[in-house]
Amino acid sequence: MALTIISLIKQVPLPSEMRMGEDGLMDRTKAKSIINIDCSFGLEAGLQLKKQYPDARLIVCSMGPKSFENSLRTAVSMGYDEAYLLSDRKLGGSDTYATGLAISTMLKHLGFTKDSKEPFIILAGRQTSDGDTAHVPSQVAEKIGIPQATFVESVKADGAGNVIAKRIIEGGYQILKLPIPCVISLTPTGIPPRKPSLSGAIKARNLQITTFGIDDIGLGTEKIGINGSPTIVVKVVNIVSERPPIVMSEGHNEAALVDSLIVNLKKGGNVLEKKEKVDKKEIEYPDFPDKDFRNGARGILTWAELTNGKISRPSLELLTPARNLANQLGNDTKVMTLIIGKNVKPFAQTLIEHGSDEVIIVENEKLEEYLVMPFSSVIAQVIKERNPEIALFAATTSGRELAPRIGMKTDSGVTADCTGLEIGEYIDKKEKVIYKPILESRRPTYGESKLATILGFVCPQISTARAGTFEVPVVVEGRKGIVSYFNPVLEDKDFVVEIVKTERGEGGLQNLFSADIIITGGRGTTGDNLALIKSLAAELKKQGVNAEWASSRPVVDEGVAEYARQVGQTGKTIRPKIYVAVGVSGAIQHIAGMKESEKIIAIDHNPKAHIFNYADFGIVGEYTDIVPELIERVKAGFKFGIEAKKN
Amino acid sequence: MNGNDTVSTDVLIIGGGPSGLATAIRLADILKQTGRNNRILLIEKGREIGSHILSGAVIKPLVFKELLPDVNLSEIPFNSEVTKDTTILLGEKGFIALPFHVPYMSNKGNYVASLGQVCRYLAIKAQEKGVEIYTGFAIDEILYKDGKVIGAKTKDTGIDHHGQKLENFQPGTRIEARITVFAEGTRGSLTKMLIAKFNLNKDRNEQVYSLGCKELWVVPPGNIKPGEIYHTMGYPLDNDEFGGGFIYGLNDNKVAVGLVVGLDYQDPSFDVHDAFQIWKASSFVSKILKGGKMVEYGAKTLPEGGYYAIPKLYTDNAIIVGDSAGLVAMPALKGVHLAVRSGMLAAQTAADALSRNDTSEKSLQQYETLVNNSSIYKEMYVVRNFRQGFAKGLIAGGLLFGTQLITGGAGFFGRLRSHADYQTTLKLSELKKKPFKERFKGKLEFDKVLTFDKSTDVYHSGVYHDEDQVVHLHIKDMEKFNAVNIEEYGAPEQFFCSSEVYELHVDKAGHKEIRIHAENCMHCKTCDIKSPGDNITWVVPNGGNGPDFQNM
Repeated sequence: MALTIISLIKQVPLPSEMRMGEDGLMDRTKAKSIINIDCSFGLEAGLQLKKQYPDARLIVCSMGPKSFENSLRTAVSMGYDEAYLLSDRKLGGSDTYATGLAISTMLKHLGFTKDSKEPFIILAGRQTSDGDTAHVPSQVAEKIGIPQATFVESVKADGAGNVIAKRIIEGGYQILKLPIPCVISLTPTGIPPRKPSLSGAIKARNLQITTFGIDDIGLGTEKIGINGSPTIVVKVVNIVSERPPIVMSEGHNEAALVDSLIVNLKKGGNVLEKKEKVDKKEIEYPDFPDKDFRNGARGILTWAELTNGKISRPSLELLTPARNLANQLGNDTKVMTLIIGKNVKPFAQTLIEHGSDEVIIVENEKLEEYLVMPFSSVIAQVIKERNPEIALFAATTSGRELAPRIGMKTDSGVTADCTGLEIGEYIDKKEKVIYKPILESRRPTYGESKLATILGFVCPQISTARAGTFEVPVVVEGRKGIVSYFNPVLEDKDFVVEIVKTERGEGGLQNLFSADIIITGGRGTTGDNLALIKSLAAELKKQGVNAEWASSRPVVDEGVAEYARQVGQTGKTIRPKIYVAVGVSGAIQHIAGMKESEKIIAIDHNPKAHIFNYADFGIVGEYTDIVPELIERVKAGFKFGIEAKKN
Repeated sequence: MNGNDTVSTDVLIIGGGPSGLATAIRLADILKQTGRNNRILLIEKGREIGSHILSGAVIKPLVFKELLPDVNLSEIPFNSEVTKDTTILLGEKGFIALPFHVPYMSNKGNYVASLGQVCRYLAIKAQEKGVEIYTGFAIDEILYKDGKVIGAKTKDTGIDHHGQKLENFQPGTRIEARITVFAEGTRGSLTKMLIAKFNLNKDRNEQVYSLGCKELWVVPPGNIKPGEIYHTMGYPLDNDEFGGGFIYGLNDNKVAVGLVVGLDYQDPSFDVHDAFQIWKASSFVSKILKGGKMVEYGAKTLPEGGYYAIPKLYTDNAIIVGDSAGLVAMPALKGVHLAVRSGMLAAQTAADALSRNDTSEKSLQQYETLVNNSSIYKEMYVVRNFRQGFAKGLIAGGLLFGTQLITGGAGFFGRLRSHADYQTTLKLSELKKKPFKERFKGKLEFDKVLTFDKSTDVYHSGVYHDEDQVVHLHIKDMEKFNAVNIEEYGAPEQFFCSSEVYELHVDKAGHKEIRIHAENCMHCKTCDIKSPGDNITWVVPNGGNGPDFQNM
């Protein structure tokens, strides 16, 4: 039977297209819509697979308003054969759970089930630019009941009915072998989407797009739309930029440009004008009764992830909000931490000293290496037994695929990549009750421009926390806690995915967390294999400055730098005193990884490079001119205003 | 998905500007009236219709009535009827409003408009009539068979900087057409190939061009009224620089301002964009812009060689229309109505040829006959020597124009020849007058309120180019470029480029090299026209690349 390749896409407003309106505000209405970038990489992955399976049928699916037909037609003009749109007003306001449910129902309706005789591969984008959750691919895989690989950069078939996927993980990558059918979500770092062809566009123009309503696919309204979704967005506020406007260097050659930078650095750059905060009006507090919706669920569960035989830093960071939430909940609320693997008991005391009240140990040979299917099954079993009110995961590549897969099993919504977790309450004016206590999960969204507060009404309330946001808790040596064991049921069907290879760098990552100055070379600096970048960092070190060099994602992809040096990978935030970005265009992931640096200096030949929007100081010029000049200045004693280490 | 993608059509129209759209609309109408069902494909390289359209514009509306007889003129998104039309003799600090108009420059009954908006409207009309329009596709090759045009091919995509195929390589589509209409606008890159291949400019004058830089502003109410228009002569241009400024009041407190300068100027350091900024800072213009905000920038060239520079407009299976054909009437620099008119005549010719089943050169000769019997000829022939006269300077040009007015365009010398614009630039050593930078010393610091550097302006054009493609500006002979263009002429490319594509980099050791920032390119084609030694070829980049004009 011929293979069917199914691509799931979403249409989103193009962020870079948003123009300044005539009133000086961002004009979203004029922003054009595009296929979400990650999804378009998924489309290309499908077209690449077609090279291996010339007979494959390529279909593209989306869920959204009728205007999404534009993107479906674009997919067809790139080479897809058929297009399906799930479009129904009743789906409006659906959260990721409801979206995953609706899309998987449509796919099942089209005949794609785990038992279907026709082989198929579902491709999707890792996450969307207007939601950033990365949930839907996991949720679809769970709901259909098939294996998945998320954060995948490239995918190919092995000719024996399996899919080989290169999955990006912290500090490296993993090669996975998955059976068909399966779901693969693609990062926007693999093969870029091709341009439409004219012949494709002509085909797309005449194409009949099949549109379904929820009745057509047999989907009820109980679990979809604004009323059926387990989570709701209760508040969205603008994130005010903490960074004042950039100061650009002026001059006609590299010496003058660098002189100008040094002067500007001394002056200290622009200062952000702080606006007086307007006193908020007291909200009138209605006289509604409290409602405890937890139904007896108690406690906070976290998962301790192991990488390179150690508890990963983000998992330790997670214990800070966990402890904080437990304190806010009071009533002796427990923080329980689950650790899964082979011979993991020795880690229990470390977790307790970081704040866990109870460590639940699952030990099994088969669970030595992380795999989403058995791990999500184990964690769901623990949740069922322990019935926690809140479950927290670090927003690592594992945490971000586990949480939605588990949420689908427990019918909970998930809030992704949170930077704030607090206990609050929700005044329901319709029901005239106050939901209390409830987890308020805060997360940046819309390209980091807004902060949304999201509530979930099904326990456990699941959230993932962005790495680098919370501090690792202070260790209390000798702290006492409970250590218990859990014996899960393991099913063979959860072990169908094979890890062919795991490659993870060491060392550099920690140095990046502690360096005072980080010099980062982007794609624009690979001409000399980062030689200039490295020598600038080395020269600073010679001067006694705690400096390190790093690189952006494409440089690592080209094999010029090791993974551990990469800034802008999922779940890593660094905060040096001075961050120097050279030849870095400023992809959103990169910005997320470095934007909390104290001062940012950007050097790029393109005056329109995105990076300049996030920097304090900028130089427009070729790195081959500017960096040697900087090296000379460092040799002469210039240290970017950083003091040398005393010793 | 391999190299054999071919589509067939009866008529292929390359370019979605006024001439191409008029061709499409008229052709669809005629076919419908005669009960025929021929396919019309129109391909536009801009992201959307209008993305690459820029004009002043003051438009003569009459021809639109003929193009769209069933449509009320008020339905076309013209902006405002011209209410006040003044010609200004401009000085830096003062001005004189001339009590008369330069002949052929009256704008009574005309409309100010965004030509981009008008084109978007025409595209909707064309599609309603069954024309297939595809935007965001670049055509970089004319297809020939037995030495005759048989269509064109879209550009291959998925190619890296060095021309190597990438994994997402997508071959272009061959479009086989019985008739191909070249409606690419000014200095069309395919039209240039077509003219060269069939020697269509034999015995014609060299085409000459002007470069216009334009900004759209929103100004406080009261600064200018909709329909209030000014044309300026004089400052900051010298006697040997032909051109002038325009200020067109639009609805919603918008105003379009621009400066158009003939590219036959001599000073290798002359910079039209910067001259435009200096012009804006004059007391007369700055008063109108005071308190306002620039919202959009763009630039384009326009052919102004006039009647004698029009190439032969047809060959076997091919027709040239609009700006690509050089159909612009001087001295008003009006080409929109002629573009529409030429499109309508091309449509008539194509319809007749299709019905005769004869698209040969002989059959398409009808187009030239129609043009020569039309208002195009009437408007262009009387001023056939106008522009060439001004090659000798404004004073001499004015005198010659005077004699032409008396003699019905002939002047006392008959046909005046013209030189290609790249030939008129002087070497640094030959330049007698002060170079541009010295001439306007102290006026080239741009305040980013009233005046802008190129980078800032370029940012307001919405320009975008894919990173993965071969640089679309080809220097033909780099050695010669270094020795002549840089050393002898001082790299005029860095100055004449409207959008900071060319940068002359001088390192500390004094070594000079030209750096090309193709991603800024406004598609104005000035470098293809003005580079000394004719040393640069502009080829079309990926489809959908280039500026993204909204209201230009």
